[in-house]
Amino acid sequence: MLFLLIAIISLILQLFLPWWIIAPIAFALAAWKANSGKNAFFSAFLAIFVLWTIVGLIHTLPNENILANRVASMLTLPANSFNWLIVLVISGLIGGFAAGFSALAGRYTQEAIISSKRK
Amino acid sequence: MKIVKAVFAGFFAFALIVVLNTKLGDIPPLAKFLDPFQGFWTNAEPKEQNPDNNLIIVGLKGDVEIRFDDQMIPHIFADNNHDLYFAQGYITAKDRLWQMDFQTRFASGRLSEVVGPKALELDRYQRRMGMTFGAENMVKIMMEDPEIKETMDAYTAGVNAYIHSLKPGDYPLEFKILDYAPEDWKPLNSALLLKLMSATLAGGSNEFYMNNILSKFGPEITKNLFPDYPYREDPIIPVGTKWDFDPIKTPQTPKLNLSDKTAYTIKTREIEEGIGSNNWAVAGEKSASGFPILANDPHLDLTLPSIWYQIQLASSDMNACGVSIPGAPGVIIGFNQNVAWGVTNVGADVLDWYNIKFKDETKKEYWYNNQWNPVKPRIETIQVNGGQTIRDTVLYTHHGPIVYTSQQRPENFSMINNIPTGHALRWVAHDGSNDTRTFFMLNRAKNYADYRKALTYYSAPAQNFIFASAENDIAITPNGYLPLKWRGQGKFLLDGSDPANDWQGRIPAEHNPTVKNPERKFVSSANQFPNDPSYPYYINWEYAGYERSHRINKRLAVMTQATVDSLQNLQNDNYSILAENILPTLQSLVDTKSLNGLEKEGFSIVSKWNMHFNADEIGASIFELWHKNLGVQIWGDEFSDPKAPMRFPSRDRSVELLLNEPNSVWYDNVKTAKKETREDLVNASFKFAIDSLKRKYGSIDKDWEWGNLKSTNVPHLAKIAGFGSKNLYNGGSKTSVNAVSETNGPSWRMIVALGENVKAYGVFPGGESGNPGSHYYDDMVNTWSDGKLNELVFLKTKKEASKRIISTWKLKNK
Repeated sequence: MLFLLIAIISLILQLFLPWWIIAPIAFALAAWKANSGKNAFFSAFLAIFVLWTIVGLIHTLPNENILANRVASMLTLPANSFNWLIVLVISGLIGGFAAGFSALAGRYTQEAIISSKRK
Repeated sequence: MKIVKAVFAGFFAFALIVVLNTKLGDIPPLAKFLDPFQGFWTNAEPKEQNPDNNLIIVGLKGDVEIRFDDQMIPHIFADNNHDLYFAQGYITAKDRLWQMDFQTRFASGRLSEVVGPKALELDRYQRRMGMTFGAENMVKIMMEDPEIKETMDAYTAGVNAYIHSLKPGDYPLEFKILDYAPEDWKPLNSALLLKLMSATLAGGSNEFYMNNILSKFGPEITKNLFPDYPYREDPIIPVGTKWDFDPIKTPQTPKLNLSDKTAYTIKTREIEEGIGSNNWAVAGEKSASGFPILANDPHLDLTLPSIWYQIQLASSDMNACGVSIPGAPGVIIGFNQNVAWGVTNVGADVLDWYNIKFKDETKKEYWYNNQWNPVKPRIETIQVNGGQTIRDTVLYTHHGPIVYTSQQRPENFSMINNIPTGHALRWVAHDGSNDTRTFFMLNRAKNYADYRKALTYYSAPAQNFIFASAENDIAITPNGYLPLKWRGQGKFLLDGSDPANDWQGRIPAEHNPTVKNPERKFVSSANQFPNDPSYPYYINWEYAGYERSHRINKRLAVMTQATVDSLQNLQNDNYSILAENILPTLQSLVDTKSLNGLEKEGFSIVSKWNMHFNADEIGASIFELWHKNLGVQIWGDEFSDPKAPMRFPSRDRSVELLLNEPNSVWYDNVKTAKKETREDLVNASFKFAIDSLKRKYGSIDKDWEWGNLKSTNVPHLAKIAGFGSKNLYNGGSKTSVNAVSETNGPSWRMIVALGENVKAYGVFPGGESGNPGSHYYDDMVNTWSDGKLNELVFLKTKKEASKRIISTWKLKNK
């Protein structure tokens, strides 16, 4: 559920806003919906990883991956014809981590607020 | 506890986002760059792209139609010139915006604004050379010409209309890598790009080296080794052509007077050969069709995106096709229904250095014409990326800027090795001029008279303008602002206090060397001497070697029934006149008994070599290393002095020495006790050549082939890894008509067959798109490398049907 929410809202907002919008989205949705830190992190991580990988594929496949392979050379990956896949996975991982840690921060913040209210 | 955890996690997440959004050193902001919504992925263009399109563009006066052919080359049809140049600006920006931005920044010394302190000295250099000063002067003159003002303003508006249509996700790839945004285009930027051509083609100088040679060896040896006319030459204007004018009075050559005996601590820089070009045109009498055929291939450093941008421009008063400079309006090299034209570099001496004597340390006044004259400071402000603002003062005399005073000269900056300290620069590129009008008029030219008129507006860099028309005229004119000088003026450093050393105006434009429909039924140029010594004016004392031009002239002289194919064959000619001239002598001097097994094998190969620098020739590899090293062995001992750097005598003079002066003193290596002879050097350099190839590739096999040793490639403009071409396997050499070397060569090959229906062919080593994520970024590289040409689509009317047109854009104001 959290996974789907983050993926869909990120998809919509990223059409207009810079990439870092995924951080407040993951933070807020994790604070609202996550049931643990682990759940927050992995839902957000997977949501963005999957989202970015799919959108990346939509761009790179019709391009026959020529740009992604050039970028791989720029990033000094050793030459082979699957380099574009590595760049795609790196992209997904970076987006995933950014979202995952934001979600974790959101969940912890929510826990902190609740525990301080209890006192 | 939970608060600590939350604060810590929040802080960590925030820091991570900031880091991933920040450019660190040369690494682009990672998440911003890899984001598939706005990062580099969106620059990956589908192979099938660019469907029909209707665009609303504010700023147009009427409707414009752009038809794209199968190489994505735009063919623009507009109702008026404003809309034509507007659309040219728009569509060029669509394909080449980053290149335009980057080259403008490079020219004007504004690179460090985007790449930071590492470009600071380069920026300073460009500013101190007066690049922006020259471009500003150019804009002033252009804007006084109403038609050219309209052209420049419309082009600028078109570029800006495109820039304003972009959101950050749409920026060209390199903006994302370097993490900056495009800024508005200005007419000054177009002027800077034209000045950049002057810097490339007319920005070199030898004076410091020549001065040191004169100090060390005296006038007699200097004159002997560095003569004012070469041993072998085949000038552009055929020998014997009558000069059809009464020359104006030229200044007297003053007595040789060394302005400055001190040696400069500058390192020797090899004179870069490879920036040159070929062009020729055969008359109808020589062609199969009965109409002239024109060919041109300008040689420049090869880069991706390509130096040139192909385009067809049609409006109410013109329809021209060819290549343009991305960032400047009009077609630079091309053709229309009636005429074709092309250019090669003249190599005129239009850059001189004047020694400046200041009154005192404040450097406010300098001595000239027996009085103290005020120095004008110009402040250059550089906003270095990262916050720092650098202010640099450049002192201007009436000659031009003093590029470096002793306090201003940076250490360890190799680009300025050839700049003498404390000297003012007089350079034609500083002057205002209206070169754009020349191309404006050539694009519309109908005949020879129009061509001659267009040329009078051209200033720099001086070019050999070749011409052919459907009226069966052919012509060539070494043309530009050629300063009126005394013979040899500027061969050495000049005393800046004596008015006799100033440029005395210019050679009248109509007195520039020219020839129309010569006896021999063809015209040609390959950067050699424009004229034989009978020409009444002085242009320069040294030009590119005569080998390419001689080969071209020899082949054209015997050519009959010429076709596009025969001229294409000549463009791809790898034969080396240099080898023809010296190889038999070199061979005869080799002591075969002293050779080891490998050397014997190599000698046998080079002896059987056909003197063509073809890709699969091992003989070419051996010869190239051999004669190069021989030059170093002959001259290196005398002409390498770290305290007083010099250059070597020309290739032409070396050939003369080898063939005609077997006992010359120059063969002796002055650094050894032994007395070396010509034979010693020829043998030692041969062994050196074989040994270097052995060390590089082992025993003789395919690796030794010339195409492999030369290993031509086309790098990215900013040298970004992965964005250049792969290594290409092809033939050619600097002394062949096909002047392909490692990273320079023919930047555009064109052949135009005039007639009832003009037909043209062309190719450049790149592609129409500047986007490394496009299939059209390098789609012509292999065609170019194989020496093939594409037939150019030239549509006579907007409606003309063509199978090669794949899509159409309609641009409307509302």
